[in-house]
Amino acid sequence: MSNDILNMEHVSYRYFDRIPALENISLGISEGETLAVIGSNGSGKSTLLQIAAGLLYPHEGRVLFRGVEVNEKALRAKAFMKQFRSSLGFVFQDSDVQLFCPSVMDELMYGPLQLGLSEDEASDRAMEILAMLGIEGLKHRPSYMLSGGEKKKVAIGSVLTMNPEIILVDEPTNGLDPRTQCTLMEVLMSLREAGKTVIIATHDLSLVDELQASVAVLSEEHCLVRRGEAGDILADEELLLSVNLIHEHRHFHGKEVHSHLHSHYSFHKH
Amino acid sequence: MANRIPAFLLDSKHGGEDDQHLFSRSDAKRTRGVSFIDRGIHGLGNVIRTTYVQWETSSGRGLLQRFDPRVKLLFLLFFAIVISLQRDLVHALAMAAFIFCLVSLSFLRIAVFYWRVLFVGFFLGFLMAAPSSLNIIVPGEVILPLIRFSQPHEFLIYNVPPTVGITSHGLILTAMITLRVMNSLALSLLVMYTTPLQDIIRALKIFRVPDAFLLVVLLSYRYIFIFAGLAEDMHLAVRSRIVGGISGPEARKWIAGRMAVLFRKTRLRCEDVFNAMRARGFSGETRLPECGRLATADWVAGVLLFAVGTVFLWI
Repeated sequence: MSNDILNMEHVSYRYFDRIPALENISLGISEGETLAVIGSNGSGKSTLLQIAAGLLYPHEGRVLFRGVEVNEKALRAKAFMKQFRSSLGFVFQDSDVQLFCPSVMDELMYGPLQLGLSEDEASDRAMEILAMLGIEGLKHRPSYMLSGGEKKKVAIGSVLTMNPEIILVDEPTNGLDPRTQCTLMEVLMSLREAGKTVIIATHDLSLVDELQASVAVLSEEHCLVRRGEAGDILADEELLLSVNLIHEHRHFHGKEVHSHLHSHYSFHKH
Repeated sequence: MANRIPAFLLDSKHGGEDDQHLFSRSDAKRTRGVSFIDRGIHGLGNVIRTTYVQWETSSGRGLLQRFDPRVKLLFLLFFAIVISLQRDLVHALAMAAFIFCLVSLSFLRIAVFYWRVLFVGFFLGFLMAAPSSLNIIVPGEVILPLIRFSQPHEFLIYNVPPTVGITSHGLILTAMITLRVMNSLALSLLVMYTTPLQDIIRALKIFRVPDAFLLVVLLSYRYIFIFAGLAEDMHLAVRSRIVGGISGPEARKWIAGRMAVLFRKTRLRCEDVFNAMRARGFSGETRLPECGRLATADWVAGVLLFAVGTVFLWI
């Protein structure tokens, strides 16, 4: 048996049984690893994360969590579901779909209470996470009265209070202002230092660079085209160009028209 | 940030479990059923899938997909009248055969198509008409006796004869009504499955339906689709955080909360759309693009279908 905490073997998935989202993906994630799944819009990153989290089930292939196959039948077993769900925390791209409790505090306590922790313990965890994320002032606020960045922090917090082994984050920095992006980056780094397995889906190459994550590259044909370290992947312009993560860009410098590869990342150098 | 990490996050024992024996066979036997939330959300998923299938089949390359939506709407209307005027079982069967030919030539999935027709037709046609096969409702020669009484009875407005049973006339009447319902249903589904909804709505302009009304229908259809997707995402999100299953009261609370969220989002979306319309020049009146001229092939198809309908009326 491999040492991977999570393993995908020949996974394929199609929406409505027809539209391909993933094609024959095989991917192992070891304990404590930080993995960035990168690819252009529609390449299947979010689907891959949802399959890894047991929220969708592959049409072909299988997903193993610590060597045990994760499928609909397995997740009907109460014990396995409890073990699996408490081991994986999923942060959705759209925080609105994730926040369903009356207030931020309730949101953060929801997970621990489900795990059977006492109310005091759950409250302590929630307070610690609020402090970690710097959102103590929001604890009594309903989620619909939060800004986009605040919602994202609460969504991450609501997962962290469960202390999962694996944290999956779908497009962590999408639509956030630079300061909130920076805060989230620090949170992800801290989780990595804490020994958590972190899996993110993103097309933000600067995030991949800063986290120095290992990288899985998905093509526009929904296939895994490369697995490697951030430095190697980000240096491979040809690969990034082929999967539509960088592009040829023309713009003015003073009065001079200038053309180069552009990714909102390190290739944009002058 | 690093020195602010809560101690519990550094604990390798994740979650709140004291032990990790959870993959044993005995535990695996304790399973949970599919909750009513799951069933409900699957229903929503089916809305999306059905819409997708409708979009896919309506953009196929079958016979009816090639016709102008206005021709198809008029065909539907005319044939609905023809079906309602048919009095003979053989003619109704001939109509069913004609519709079957059109379904086949439009390359629809026949099994799925007729399963739907039979399912709805059973409830709206057969079950509604079945009582009229008894001699209590329609007097006639009993061909299958069901109950015998020693003497006739009066029950409400009905005269119950000593032998209650199925009459030949009642049976034909039931078959006729069921066939009519199924034929009408099959025709409607045929037009629906071979025409994109936005084209059907545009084609309604020939019946002088106001543009504003058509726009509202189009927007509603679009938002049902969007919100069904949103509801599915919310369900996935809660599923990812449910550790020990969800109790009935909890599930109801969650659903009530999500309904409120959807309602709020609908209201906000409504305001956004209204502002977007105003930003693009909307000032109270709306105009949808006119449908173009009918092609010669559409005229020919229209005349042929009209001729077939007239033959059905005439025979």
